[in-house]
Amino acid sequence: MKIPPVIASHARQFGTLLVFMVLCVVLTVLTPHFLTVSNLLNVAQQTSINAVIAVGLTYVIISAGIDLSVGSIVAFSGVVMAGALQAGWPVAAAVLTGLAVGTGCGIVNGLLIAFGRLPPFIATLGMMSVARGLGLLHTDGRPVSGFGDAFRWLANGEVVGVPVPVLIMLGVYAAAHFVLRRTKFGRYVFAIGGNEEASLLSGVPVAAYKVAVYAVSGLLAALGSVLLTARLNSAQPIAGINYELDAIAATVIGGTSLMGGQGSVIGTLIGALIMGVLRNGLNLLGVSSFFQQVVIGAVIIAAVLLDTVFKRQKR
Amino acid sequence: MKLPSTLWRAAGASLALLLAAGCGRTPETAAGADGRPTVALVVKTLNNPFFIDMQKGAEEAAKALNANLLVQAAEREVDVERQMQIVENLIQRKVSALLITPSGSREIVSAIVKANKAGIPVIILDTRADAAALTAAGGSVAAFIGSDNYEGGRIAGEHLVARMNGKATVAVLEGIPGHETGDARLRGFREALKAHPEMKIVVSQPANWERDLGYNVTQNLLQAHPGVNALFAASDLMALGATEAIAAAGKTGQIAVVGFDAIDEARAAIKSGAMAGSIAQSPAQMGRMGVEAAVKLLGGGTLTPEIAVPIELIK
Repeated sequence: MKIPPVIASHARQFGTLLVFMVLCVVLTVLTPHFLTVSNLLNVAQQTSINAVIAVGLTYVIISAGIDLSVGSIVAFSGVVMAGALQAGWPVAAAVLTGLAVGTGCGIVNGLLIAFGRLPPFIATLGMMSVARGLGLLHTDGRPVSGFGDAFRWLANGEVVGVPVPVLIMLGVYAAAHFVLRRTKFGRYVFAIGGNEEASLLSGVPVAAYKVAVYAVSGLLAALGSVLLTARLNSAQPIAGINYELDAIAATVIGGTSLMGGQGSVIGTLIGALIMGVLRNGLNLLGVSSFFQQVVIGAVIIAAVLLDTVFKRQKR
Repeated sequence: MKLPSTLWRAAGASLALLLAAGCGRTPETAAGADGRPTVALVVKTLNNPFFIDMQKGAEEAAKALNANLLVQAAEREVDVERQMQIVENLIQRKVSALLITPSGSREIVSAIVKANKAGIPVIILDTRADAAALTAAGGSVAAFIGSDNYEGGRIAGEHLVARMNGKATVAVLEGIPGHETGDARLRGFREALKAHPEMKIVVSQPANWERDLGYNVTQNLLQAHPGVNALFAASDLMALGATEAIAAAGKTGQIAVVGFDAIDEARAAIKSGAMAGSIAQSPAQMGRMGVEAAVKLLGGGTLTPEIAVPIELIK
């Protein structure tokens, strides 16, 4: 059978897309509540936070790194932003402060990894605890809640019927895809992940780009936090626990290789949507909460299994 | 390249998985399909005996009243965002009524407002939604069914005063900060101790309702305050963690531990002398009364806005 070149070159994403579509078809058959405009917008909205954070993880993982600190950065940047909002700062200033905090944490991660020569696992594991602790200290362990309508618009607003968080998610993906595929930055991220030594020898400023990659991850975690805080009308220092695992799962389901050098943000978007649709569908079906965890775990394993089987065949 | 067959296999696997999930689901009936109302119970988590008892009570009532019951929960008690997703998904499923034990008193407000907009009545069990935040958001609940936690805390305090003859060095394990249930218990407890100047609270720290944190926090506070001879934990899980830390320190019997909830394990610990008492709530009765109230409301009846569930001291 002849496979059109565009499909062959994006085979892994088409595989993910196929799984996603089969899922949707099955859910449509099983429940009348799945395929409705309001439910699809609902799922897209629920997926947006994980999807935005997962873009950062995709960059990091393509560069052959890992970032375990994003969940804690969600909490820390969230409470700092929330504090600023409650102190009466304009929305834009408070949001920018939150984003700056996230980016700052990411830069520290990057510096520790690029110049301190720490393994990414260790550096971001440390940051995971530090950022969580700073968030708890900042608020004395309490949630900060109750914001104005202008800020809440980021979660509850709509532009021509599409929820704002969904638009933000799509914007982030468009930009991230462009940067990864069409710019020097993107090519270098792939190069560093594919072969760091070779990149260094061919003149890629590896250290600087690594710092930038972790900064992007921190920035996007903080952006996820903006969406989360607006959605709940509350910033909690214990928010975002296990978000790093959800983001890694979305990235991996989307076909990005944990070994680095391979991957795509579009795959990650589909990966995040698969997780969102699964959780939504299992709720709609009234499946036991415990069984839901089994199913989601099985899908992660199946996706990676698909990846390895495919790679073996290609060889 | 054998790509398509791999893809189909993966798709088939996910299909089979979902069909399996479909078989394990509760029958799909929005109100009207078979004339039975569907009542959804969203608890904080199902890995806590308290909520499992609540589920059992609700199941009994649903059976007796011929209603469909759906029970859903997040994996983690602190995951307010996931709880919101579950509520949103159940709204999409068009359940007839929602019974919710909020994971976050303020964070649940947005979800309640969404249910209000969809015309689905909400009854709150066990943990109150923040009244001020709810009013500010323009939301409303049909009723609150739960224990008087302030009174429970007060009874626990008076029990400890009597037991220690009005003189003790007291440590307190708090729940998640900013959580209405825990705050009310602590207020009641402190109120009871106020009249007894020789009952001194030397340390009060959150252990987030978790058993392992109860253990760790107690271990640390025994290091810092070796003179502690009485301990109040705002839940039995934390109290049981504390008794294990006390046993590890070789101080069993020297520190009077009072918990809250009177779960089976705590009752056994009280019998063996490892705990000095606990406040019994009736989660099963909460679940039962919740379903009864929902069915009454759906049948056109009216509810008292506050329905108290009896509490008692177990010693």
